[in-house]
Amino acid sequence: MDVARNPETSPARRAWWRRISAQDVAPLASLAVIALFFALTSNSFLTPATIVHVLKQGAVLAIVSSGLTFVLLTAEIDLSVGTVALWSACFCGWLFEIGFGLAAPDAAPSGGMVAAVIALPIASAVAIGILSGVLTVWSRLPSFIITLAMMNIANGLARYLTRSEALEVPHLLKTIGNGGIDLTPRIMVPYSAMLALVVLVVGHVVLVHTRFGRYVYMVGGNREAARLAGVRTGLVVAVCLAISALTASVGGLVEAGRLNAATLDQNADLLLEAVACVVLGGTSLFGGEGSMSRTAIGVLTFVVLKVGLNQVGWVNDFARQLLMGGVLMTALVVNGLLAKRGK
Amino acid sequence: MSPGGRVSDEISSDDAGASDSPGAAAATSDAPLLVCRAITKRFGGSVALDRVDFDIATGEVHGLVGSNGAGKSTLMKVLAGAMPDYEGQISLNDAPVALSSPAAAGRLGIAMVHQELSGVGQLSVAENLFLGRQPTTRLGRINWRRMNTEARRQLAELDIDVDVTARLDTYPLVVRQMVEIARGLHSGARLLILDEPTSALSPPETRRLLELIGRLSRRGVACVFISHFIEDVLEVCDRVTVLRDGRVVETRATSEVDKHELVHTMLGHGLDGEEVGYETAAQLPPRHGEPPILVARNLARPREFTDVDLEVAPGECLCLYGFMGAGHQALAHTLAAANRPSSGKVTLDGSQRGLATPRQAIRRGVVLVTADRAQSVFARAAVYQNVTLAHLRATVGNWLTRRRERRVAAPAIQRVGCRPRDPDLPAGSLSGGNQQKVVMARWLLGPMRVLVLEEPTRGMDVGAKEEVMQLVHEAQAAGAAVILATTEPELALAHADRILVMRRGRITHEFCGESVDKPTLMAHAG
Repeated sequence: MDVARNPETSPARRAWWRRISAQDVAPLASLAVIALFFALTSNSFLTPATIVHVLKQGAVLAIVSSGLTFVLLTAEIDLSVGTVALWSACFCGWLFEIGFGLAAPDAAPSGGMVAAVIALPIASAVAIGILSGVLTVWSRLPSFIITLAMMNIANGLARYLTRSEALEVPHLLKTIGNGGIDLTPRIMVPYSAMLALVVLVVGHVVLVHTRFGRYVYMVGGNREAARLAGVRTGLVVAVCLAISALTASVGGLVEAGRLNAATLDQNADLLLEAVACVVLGGTSLFGGEGSMSRTAIGVLTFVVLKVGLNQVGWVNDFARQLLMGGVLMTALVVNGLLAKRGK
Repeated sequence: MSPGGRVSDEISSDDAGASDSPGAAAATSDAPLLVCRAITKRFGGSVALDRVDFDIATGEVHGLVGSNGAGKSTLMKVLAGAMPDYEGQISLNDAPVALSSPAAAGRLGIAMVHQELSGVGQLSVAENLFLGRQPTTRLGRINWRRMNTEARRQLAELDIDVDVTARLDTYPLVVRQMVEIARGLHSGARLLILDEPTSALSPPETRRLLELIGRLSRRGVACVFISHFIEDVLEVCDRVTVLRDGRVVETRATSEVDKHELVHTMLGHGLDGEEVGYETAAQLPPRHGEPPILVARNLARPREFTDVDLEVAPGECLCLYGFMGAGHQALAHTLAAANRPSSGKVTLDGSQRGLATPRQAIRRGVVLVTADRAQSVFARAAVYQNVTLAHLRATVGNWLTRRRERRVAAPAIQRVGCRPRDPDLPAGSLSGGNQQKVVMARWLLGPMRVLVLEEPTRGMDVGAKEEVMQLVHEAQAAGAAVILATTEPELALAHADRILVMRRGRITHEFCGESVDKPTLMAHAG
């Protein structure tokens, strides 16, 4: 409206903060409100231990959510992230313990072997993602259907391979999952959080500064227009699903490392949590709108809420999930309404 | 609840209404059915309707004409209840009413027949007629026999001769439209709003529809007839109201005006447009001697077009003219490789390799401007991103930044004269004409050797239209071949070097190097 009144406003001189809308601020505001609330109500919340805990818990979610962001931006969805993460962890454990037999006390795993034990599961996950992508594009079915089937396939593979046993994972993963650099004796920056930061930054750079990133937004914003502008929309969708599988796999490996083993009960809530994180950050489920920084904010909000609710004493164990759902719903609806008003 | 009982009540009351109405108003009566006083509708700062007075009598057919953007569709939407936030008074049978929603308008007996039909093609004619209120048996199942008999009776009453059990999509457009009208009447409409009902119809189909409207009028149903087709308006309407820039210019009996006068009133005085006057003929230049750049041979797409052979030379403007649905618009898309032909090939520069995807076409300089901006513009993305998208690699390179992209986009945005000039605005906030300029700017960044346009100025006002066509002329002057598919004879006559007329998916005539006027052109299309 501003522009209609004054069409000759020099656009170049418009300060960066003028381009920020309520939609951009809302997720940050909910994060601040939730964090402030816990800081005031729980005396153990603003402690180094809790912060480290938040970072560790958030790392896996952030890694998985960043890949999922690509998929949601193209207006598709990947329902297989949870089980792909599970499959990667289990495949890694199987390779480590059974395939290469490196778990035995007398085994001296070489660097190459450990690299293979980690790289092969990631490669297999990427293959799964590419398959989902190709099938989605080729069959013209919604990715919802294809990845729903893939979710079961990945779960089935993991089950078949592990026979429900807990499997040992390489020491490197355990270090990434649990270790970190000590800033002070009480504050440790976890390796997993650093990895997550790297993933987020790379994702941001790809989305903002590469042609592929632009195509992702355009395919999600208006697929037919993108096609008519010469964008290979099918390829973009397939690559996004492959990226999502890649990050899901890395997330699954870090999670297995954090829990010191690969078991079938891991990552059960990962899919829904990751979707919640991305959407909580303000990325649209209908494509074309969102960013990596929003996803980062969404992840922080979600994890602060989760960790905070676990800490405050007055929340009954049995009511915790109900409360979590309620707060989540409120935040999502408020963000959604603000986004609508911003248009 | 018992749907069966309620529905049968409704049907019987409808029956009563249907048998009453012919007696109640045998012909146009002078008592106004609907009166609008000082209707104003604003969109943000702009006024779409400015104190519009409009009335219609029982059994009257009232034409509503005006050029694009004059306010016809806004007024129509107000009447249909789709724009509840209007200012002014509307009264029906002397009682003030509030048209607060389409449902409210429907309850008051106002039904709208849309340009884009809302019937369900996969269902039978009878099912469409009873959509949402099928008669049911006592067990709650659909009473097919009753529905089909009722449908047959109602359609027979309107002299519409169709098999009510056949799927709706097996019938031509005119029948679908008539079924839609019958549906409106069946739901108790006393006032029908017809939006461009004849624009997609061939002359015989138009005749059928106009006859139906005449019959309805004799039965006391009032119709608002919105159309670009002045002949149709003059033929079927009792009175006509001319809108211009959101205001009523005049309302007159059609017996007192001729089309020349009406067009003059519509366009306003002193308008020095490039549009060819109503009866003026255009002199097409002799055929270009240059070898063709784009050649289509034996092109076909099922149910769209067949046996299309055409060629176009650099610097030439080839116009594909036909009525809506004649296949020329789909053909334009195929020529730019936006959809694939089922047979035949489009080749460029005499090479054997055909164009398979938009991507290949764009690389070789064949670009498409669609009528529907939703097919070409990214509403939420910034203008500069809309402009650079197709040629990112060549113009911006591997590392995208806002600054670099804006530097690339700025000259193109400036050249097309896009307003407002702020390249950071979301493209969706621009007007239709400016969105189309953004699309032109996009193609200016790369090679533009064949410019394919499908109805590029649909829904634009005269000024925006001229600006967009000016850009097309500039491209043509720079040596691009232009293919312009349109349903507007004026556009064809004003811009074409050569005109191919299409009818029912085939090229039926070529005008080249001769004088052609609008009636001739339309006669070949129908």
